[in-house]
Amino acid sequence: MNLLQGTLDLLILKSLSLGEMHGLGIARRVEQITQGAFLVKPGSLFPALHRMEEAGWLVSSWGESENNRRAKYYRLSAAGRRQLRAESRIWDRISVAIATALQAT
Amino acid sequence: MSVLSHTSSLVRNLLRRKHVEADLDEELRGYVALLEQEKIRDGMNADDARRAALIEAGGMERVKDDVRDARAGQLLETTAQDVRYGLRMLARSPGFTTAAVLALALGIGANSALFSVVDAVLLRPLAYRDPGRLVVLLHDGSNPVAPANFLDWRAQAHAFERMGAAEAWSANVVGGDRPEQLRGLRLTSDVLPLLGVQPLLGRTFLPRDEEVGHDHEIILSYGLWRRSFGADPSVVGRTVALDGEPYAVIGVMPEGFHFAPFWATHAELWAPLPLADRATERGSNSLRVFARLAPGVTLAQARAEVATITARLEREFPGTNRGVSVTPLKDKVVGDVRPTLLVLLGAAGFVLLIACANVAHMLLARSAARQKEVAVRTALGASRSRMIRQFLTESLILALAGGVAGLALAAVALHVLVALGPGNIPRVNTVGLDGSVLAFMMLVSLLTGIGFGLAPALQASAPDLTGALKDGARGSSDSVRRNRMRSVLMTSEFALAVVLLIGAGLMIRSVLAMQSVDPGFNPANLLTMTVSVTGSAEAEPQHRAIFFQQLLQKVQSLPGVQSASAINHLPLAGDLWGYHFHVEGRPIPRPGEAPDATYRVVFPGYFRTMRIPILRGRGITEQDNTNAPAVVVINQWMADRWWPGEDPVGKRITLGDPEHPVWLTVAGVAKNDVQHDWVAPPSEEIFLPYLQTAEYLDGSSPHISYMTLVVRADCAPSGHACDPAALAPAIRGAVWSFDRSLPISDVQTMEQAVARSTAEPRFTLLVLAAFAGVALFLAAVGIHGVMSYSVSRRTHEIGLRMALGADRSDVLRRVVGQAMMLTLMGSAVGLVGALLLTRLMSGLLYRVHSTDPLTFVAVAFLLACVALVASYVPARRATRIDPVEALRQA
Repeated sequence: MNLLQGTLDLLILKSLSLGEMHGLGIARRVEQITQGAFLVKPGSLFPALHRMEEAGWLVSSWGESENNRRAKYYRLSAAGRRQLRAESRIWDRISVAIATALQAT
Repeated sequence: MSVLSHTSSLVRNLLRRKHVEADLDEELRGYVALLEQEKIRDGMNADDARRAALIEAGGMERVKDDVRDARAGQLLETTAQDVRYGLRMLARSPGFTTAAVLALALGIGANSALFSVVDAVLLRPLAYRDPGRLVVLLHDGSNPVAPANFLDWRAQAHAFERMGAAEAWSANVVGGDRPEQLRGLRLTSDVLPLLGVQPLLGRTFLPRDEEVGHDHEIILSYGLWRRSFGADPSVVGRTVALDGEPYAVIGVMPEGFHFAPFWATHAELWAPLPLADRATERGSNSLRVFARLAPGVTLAQARAEVATITARLEREFPGTNRGVSVTPLKDKVVGDVRPTLLVLLGAAGFVLLIACANVAHMLLARSAARQKEVAVRTALGASRSRMIRQFLTESLILALAGGVAGLALAAVALHVLVALGPGNIPRVNTVGLDGSVLAFMMLVSLLTGIGFGLAPALQASAPDLTGALKDGARGSSDSVRRNRMRSVLMTSEFALAVVLLIGAGLMIRSVLAMQSVDPGFNPANLLTMTVSVTGSAEAEPQHRAIFFQQLLQKVQSLPGVQSASAINHLPLAGDLWGYHFHVEGRPIPRPGEAPDATYRVVFPGYFRTMRIPILRGRGITEQDNTNAPAVVVINQWMADRWWPGEDPVGKRITLGDPEHPVWLTVAGVAKNDVQHDWVAPPSEEIFLPYLQTAEYLDGSSPHISYMTLVVRADCAPSGHACDPAALAPAIRGAVWSFDRSLPISDVQTMEQAVARSTAEPRFTLLVLAAFAGVALFLAAVGIHGVMSYSVSRRTHEIGLRMALGADRSDVLRRVVGQAMMLTLMGSAVGLVGALLLTRLMSGLLYRVHSTDPLTFVAVAFLLACVALVASYVPARRATRIDPVEALRQA
């Protein structure tokens, strides 16, 4: 399933809202919270992460993974949290609108 | 992509690229490793897991590319945001923005203008092929060479690919509506090939052109070709009359070709230099020798070889081959002005530093005022790096605006510099704002932007969050760190200003000392012009003296003329010839050790016209002609040196070979006058009557067929100020009434000649004084700004003090005291810096030591006064603080 423009950002923000995570963790979390509907490949994951970091929504730092490997961890900045709230609101409105539109006969 | 975002991302990339790339690499490797472990956990064996992980991860290089694109795209977006925001912030405080842009424009403008000159004069290579291999051979680095020596060197030296000689030459073009004297050079056939410049049309000289009889050929400069031949492409082969003789045009040099570069710089045409009939001449030095080092030969090797050859020649012909120097052409060209330009460039750099310091503490004060904004933005989630970038962008906008304004200023300043500059700056005609100058300016403004943007940005973005939010913009106490930084900036600004002011002060003292030099003559109301008779009927030996005598009579009878005379070489402006002399009764000196005297040949009335006092005996009169005993007038220096305590009048000297003396009796002693160099100490000088000097009466060389008229205007009758230059048309008319074809050149008043000879130090003074003025102005604005800010931040504290009983004079003393403390520290640092730095300009100073105490003390005093006035205004404001109001506000 192809991700809509902006959807991936929202999913990443959402995954990180619970705490910091490395790249693979984020991919797995997205799979999990979408019940496997979205598979996030590194080719779209990493550009998105770096773009969002550059935009100031994410903050990254180096840490140890669960089995002692060095991995880069991402977490939301304050701006990221605001972005998540804003995008969620927009998404809610869009999804309601689309659902309404599709139910109309 | 806008210039700004381009440069901003460039800076970022330079600073961070490596780091980002390594980071990305490691991040992706970690990802694959984690994926691999996941597979192993799911039950795969290690090899399969690895393969599967790599497949699933996909092409890592492709991923990296995408990441880079994503980052760059985002970067562009945020940069555009930063620029928009920055512009809005700057527009909101127009006072600050104007002051900052102006300060930067002054700094950058001064730098760009000076750099343009330095680039054209010092940095750009000469317009010859491989100019670094070209050298000049001269005596003692500046004196010309005799023909026989040149021919011997050329025949014996192997260190040079080619060697050629040049001799100054001028030719009169008769015909057309105005006779013209063209300046040129005679060149041996090697000179143009060794420079490696091909002619635009025709050919250069061949070795056979050096033979007598083939030497009536000329090569034109591009400028002359266009001016006098209408850029006619078929000019080669045409014949031109020069000095009344036919010369064939054999070639035209390309545009931009100038030769010679350090002397005879106005040469417009070149002719062959036949040396065959002068091949044994070692006594008359008139050649400049140019050479190209042979491939693989170093300058040191060439010098060693020339030293060996000249030592051998010196043994054979004593006194003829001393002190022969081999100097790189470039050093010879720029050697004289290099120290001046470097001092000025250093001064311009100081102005820029002061401007930066000024803008930096303006930004610092502003960042303090913006603490609340920063705190709010940080609380809302702006990251520290984001804030730093924002502040940097603002600084870069300022720097660029300053740069653009500075460039406009530089364009104007450059015109002024070139117009005011002394005529002796080599290659000054090529000065212009060009690409390299533009690049330099961009670099300077960027470095400036980063330099002064970073410090406040770092400070502003690490605020004490809660403190700032509570205090708001009206904090009761300032951060210690920011205070210290501002003090450091202000101190350095004062220190730099002190160094500049001392430099300017020393130049003022030198120029004043120069102006008090007594030239020995009175330059006011004198007009001079050179009349050449080469190639005309008046050049005939019997006619020449009569022509000049009749001409002088005619000029003297012109209305407005008080007296008129003529001299072979006008002091300061003309040539300088020396002659060996020998005093009767003294031991005959060994060859090469004979003393020499400056050689002047004058018409009667010269001393009266120039107002050179005759101290003993008499001057030169009409009666000193070929029927009378030969006489000479000497200067005071020569009298004191050779006849100390005696009366030299009646003593005899001879010129040239003492073994075959032709005695001249000393008829009088004239006061010392300046000879060639305004500030040179006096040396021996002799004045011979034209009417007794065989060389001038009968000689055929064009070197002796011109004289310079000196005419004193009669200013007494009219009473009002008179302008000697106004006599020029009448005198020209008098010359042309004898022969319409006689060329007249170098029409100038004696005051102009004097001004020209002291133009360089006055120019240096002017530029340094302008810089020092700007520096003082910026420092005054700086201390005023710092104190105003400090007072406004301490309104509460001052109010409290006043409420507790401090009176107004206490407050005044505290504020002014703080300013004076900064001034004192700055002056102290600056005085030490000046002690170390002014040594570099000691070569530009005249009769002033580079550590002249008067200048140092005066500058420190001046700066203290300016700081006092500048800080008094905010201090007064502090005393007017109403304690009740101040405390209520807090």
